[in-house]
Amino acid sequence: MTSTAARTKPPAAAPDIEWGMPSRIIASFSGTAGLIVKLALLALMNAVVVWAAIILAQQQKWIALVVVAAATVAIDLVYLSKRSVPLKFLIPGTVFLIVFQVIPILYTVNVAFQQYSVGHIVTRDEAITAIEQNSLEQPPDGKTYTMTPAKDASGGLVLLLADDQSGNVFVGTRDGLESLPKDALKRDEFGLVTAAAGYKILKGQELVGIDTALSNYTVPTGGSSAIRAEGLDTALEMRPTLRYDEQANTFTRISNGTVFRDDGKGSFVAGEEELEPGWRTYKGFANFTSIATDPLIRKPFLRVLVWTVGFAVFTVLASFFIGLFLAIVLDKPDMRFRKLYRALIFLPFAIPGFLVLLIWAGLLNDDFGVANQVFHLHIPWLFDPWWAKVSVIMVGVWMTVPYFFLVSLGALQSIPNELVEAARVDGAGPFQVFRKITLPLLLVAVTPLLIASFAFNFNDFGKIYLLTGGGPASEDQGVAGATDILISYTYKLAFAAGKGTDYALASTVSIFIFLIVALISTVLFWRSKSLESLS
Amino acid sequence: MKSTRRITALVVAIAATALAAVAGIASAAPAGGMTASAPAGSTSSAATTVRIWTDGDRKAAVDRVAGAWARSRGVDVEVVLKDFGSIRNDLSKVTAETGPDVILGAHDWTGELAAGGLVVPLTLKTTVKAQLPSYTLNAFSYGTAVKRLYGTPVVVENIGLVVNTKLAKVPTSFANLEQQALAFKKKKSGNLAIAVQQGSGGDAYHMYPFFSGLGGYVFGTTRAGTLNPKDIGLKSPKFLANAPLIDRWNKEGLINSKIDGTTAQNAFLKGQAAFWITGPWNIDTIKKAGIKFKVVQVPRIKYRSAPFLGVNGFMVTKFAAQHGVQSLAKDLVTSYFARPSAQLALSQANGRYPANIAAGKLVTDTYLKQFGAASVGGVPMPNIPQMASVWSELGGAWVKSTKGSGATRARTSFTVAARNIANKIG
Repeated sequence: MTSTAARTKPPAAAPDIEWGMPSRIIASFSGTAGLIVKLALLALMNAVVVWAAIILAQQQKWIALVVVAAATVAIDLVYLSKRSVPLKFLIPGTVFLIVFQVIPILYTVNVAFQQYSVGHIVTRDEAITAIEQNSLEQPPDGKTYTMTPAKDASGGLVLLLADDQSGNVFVGTRDGLESLPKDALKRDEFGLVTAAAGYKILKGQELVGIDTALSNYTVPTGGSSAIRAEGLDTALEMRPTLRYDEQANTFTRISNGTVFRDDGKGSFVAGEEELEPGWRTYKGFANFTSIATDPLIRKPFLRVLVWTVGFAVFTVLASFFIGLFLAIVLDKPDMRFRKLYRALIFLPFAIPGFLVLLIWAGLLNDDFGVANQVFHLHIPWLFDPWWAKVSVIMVGVWMTVPYFFLVSLGALQSIPNELVEAARVDGAGPFQVFRKITLPLLLVAVTPLLIASFAFNFNDFGKIYLLTGGGPASEDQGVAGATDILISYTYKLAFAAGKGTDYALASTVSIFIFLIVALISTVLFWRSKSLESLS
Repeated sequence: MKSTRRITALVVAIAATALAAVAGIASAAPAGGMTASAPAGSTSSAATTVRIWTDGDRKAAVDRVAGAWARSRGVDVEVVLKDFGSIRNDLSKVTAETGPDVILGAHDWTGELAAGGLVVPLTLKTTVKAQLPSYTLNAFSYGTAVKRLYGTPVVVENIGLVVNTKLAKVPTSFANLEQQALAFKKKKSGNLAIAVQQGSGGDAYHMYPFFSGLGGYVFGTTRAGTLNPKDIGLKSPKFLANAPLIDRWNKEGLINSKIDGTTAQNAFLKGQAAFWITGPWNIDTIKKAGIKFKVVQVPRIKYRSAPFLGVNGFMVTKFAAQHGVQSLAKDLVTSYFARPSAQLALSQANGRYPANIAAGKLVTDTYLKQFGAASVGGVPMPNIPQMASVWSELGGAWVKSTKGSGATRARTSFTVAARNIANKIG
């Protein structure tokens, strides 16, 4: 910034005040005002860190705590000392780079190595508890009780249980059931015990206080069956159907002795059968290899890739040339209503994209859409695989032209008029001037934008999802629709296949897409360097 | 001069930091105190809180019902407003500190949430169970080995055939519906036979009455009574034998996949369609348009044209135990929310039919009652997570076979869809 600003100004007499605008702004802040602002900002940051540190300490995340503390001290030192001026400028950028780029990428890569999908969300311990809980069943003659939690003479928790069938009342302890004589207690109309001799009924806050103890309370009734509390006034006789062996790390089905073993991929399995839930864990390169081996992914991959590249390239090139054409046409200063035309061309860019797409989806409806009705056409815009592709590109171009129109308009103005005039003098026709002078010079400025636009279109999930939803489904091509690009196909695989959401697979495929885009962009940038030698 | 300035700066900086730190500790302390004491299940007088996630439509009703329960138990409830869909998505991402103890959810989330270990099994009292239709309980039951209940059903919703009684008579049979609809379509260009929404993405939910009426089903059941993802009913011989009827409807223009949600709604409201397949969420829209209408079940085709049923209810999450309120949460969900009064309040909040049979008898809205009657024999949407592989394929098969000219024969499109589903489930 400073250098360009300096270049536009002729060298002044006093070189030490020949500063660009940014420098002057910075300079004006290096006084007391700047110091106060700096200290206030640092104090604010430190306050946030102290707050974060307390929370981290409470959650015993010591590594994170140390990293945060060290980073904060380092930042404070850099800004409070007079030395290390370059660092002062580098740190904000670096922090934002780490927060918004590096960490998400690392997180994505980390997830790609995991088993993290529907059925594999919780930790291993939570999964084991859940399997045990889910495996409980009521035995055929299982009884249900109306329950009243109470304390016995020694203050221990007991359950006063009224059998819903027989009406007999028992006291349930960790040792089992004991009958209670009917004359020793009072009951309300729902059968709930409201008073019992020798026991103190728990009410209100006392009842709330024993919640965890109550949830874990079991009254054995013989065999593996036990009475468990369900809520605050119901208890049921339940028995487990699976038994966990901590030593062997296996679950055994009690009825037939089937042993479920830890498969190392976050599940207990026996043959085809898998216990739910599983847990979130690392499973190495399995997600990466599945992309190569799973026919569901591998088969349509090439077809989808070709269409993705074709869609992105065609959209960008067509938009660029149409935009450039319009820019050249409207570059004549003496044209009437020039500003109006420019505003009109710019309009599609100013409307939110998702709205545009939904409107287009309506316009292109075969039987009821405006496009066919006004022009009396019968084109299956969104229902034929080929026409759907045309529609997607057409709408894509419509949305992108304004951008390249603006860019070209600016770039054309920066091309020195002398070069064009010189070529004219040398006898070049208008087309020759365009091809030999204007276009090459324009491309120097525009190529990076073309590449960026390509990368954007390559991953433009919204356009496909909102316009065609990837459809129409083609006859025999499996899950990928005719207009599915890689990212929308990934979405279908990772969120609408198998058992639903598979975060790990989605991360893996997005790494692949990143590599493809990076590769193509690098090649293009490398090729475009040859253009730069022109200027 | 310079050194004094530096010293002042340092002093100011240290003072500011210290001040900020004190402020930070002060503000963090209450939050910290709660997280520290909650897992221990504190017996102190600090009120125990049960956190509930609910959607916007029913927030006020949940506030009222859960608030009454909380007062009776001497605890607090915190009702958190969420977008309905994000209740499902966020439950797998939330930490224990902010996680809910109870959620309002749809029955077809049950498989995903239970298989993820995010919700805990419940058992209803026999007296409570007797008050709830068995299909609503089935809708919330899941388990590959042992089938258990994971939610208390509260409201039921389903689609029905809405008939504009000025333009058509309530059909007496499917043939009568077909004849009336086609005659109406021929009357004027722009008229639709049956306004049922599909669009290029398809809509398996709204097409389900036709699917079930032809003998189709999504998943069969195992001997243990659980849904079997290996038995895909899109290619069942019964359905495929009747599938040529779809080709006939396509040829006649009885059903057209190019009709999307907006087209269907506009056509019905403008009187360009006499029959609209939609749900109770559109009752107010139709009333506002001043249309006289009646809601019935789609007439029997070859079998009962049963709609998909959606059941909403409350579930207890794994966080309840971590917060030391599991018994409380179960008390709220399994007994309090099952009461007729609670169910009626919740069903009125967004104009749906209550699950509780006694509460159902108290419904006074004519149209809601008609939708309730149209649900008879309905099939709860499959609640196993494999259903994720089905929606777009089943919808897509209908789109391909009812897109007018160039449509695929229904036998082919549904067989292909069945194969794709099998591949996706893996």
